[in-house]
Amino acid sequence: MAVNDSIERRAFLQACGIVGLAVATEGLAGARQGLAAAVRVTRPGPDDPPIPNEIVQRIFTERFQGRTVQRGHVTLDMPTMAEDGRYVPVIIESDLPMGADQYVKSVFLIVDHNPDPLVTAFHLSPALGPVTIQTRIKMKRTSWIRAIAETSGGELWADYLKVETTLNGCG
Amino acid sequence: MPETGKTKIVLPERIQRGDVIRVQVVMQHPMDTGFFRDANAAIIPAWFISDVRVRLGDTEIARFEWTSGISKDPMVAFQLRADQEGILSVESRDNRGSQFRGQAELKFATT
Repeated sequence: MAVNDSIERRAFLQACGIVGLAVATEGLAGARQGLAAAVRVTRPGPDDPPIPNEIVQRIFTERFQGRTVQRGHVTLDMPTMAEDGRYVPVIIESDLPMGADQYVKSVFLIVDHNPDPLVTAFHLSPALGPVTIQTRIKMKRTSWIRAIAETSGGELWADYLKVETTLNGCG
Repeated sequence: MPETGKTKIVLPERIQRGDVIRVQVVMQHPMDTGFFRDANAAIIPAWFISDVRVRLGDTEIARFEWTSGISKDPMVAFQLRADQEGILSVESRDNRGSQFRGQAELKFATT
């Protein structure tokens, strides 16, 4: 968990830096805003969605071997109301480091209620820049979407979104 | 007529050493799930790209596992650290065993 610690410490130091700057320039009100923005390593949101079915459970067992998936460091950006289930835009971003000794090894995109829930897995290397992956996927119906990043050290970080769909894009 | 498997890689026009660049890959493929039927109620068989490999020169820098859950005429974009010049290639394979390839030259701006 040394990686976590260093990231939290960095976030804290950034927060201190922003607070210092804000105090100098804008006074106390600005400082509070700066602090709130900087320490938000994990996004506030509803509790993590439960595993909905056996297929998703199998994906978790096969790919993650029961390791803990924590919310944070990954941002899943999708329309919360997807009009056409055949073309749903997805952007997955992460602030996790991409260096030679520490990098994001894989990014998994799971659509809970698709016939084949593991829609895609992106296997990356340190040659790539910071994680910003953009693609288009299909959705059968309204579902939780999971974007899960696996680091070279084996940590799992995730973000979840519930996306509503009316037009079935899978058949 | 669409040319199945045609692969296009789009890079920024001006690249300087050390830039983090956006690489966009666009392919032509039906990406059929196997669950839809045609006008005569016959099932359209599954036909989709399942494996994508991105190489810079001879080095594999990324590999994507895909399913028919990726939209028709797939698009994927990601960021690359432009530390070296070379041929950036994308090779893919579909579930019928067809292989496709596209490439672009990663070259640093001279001025």
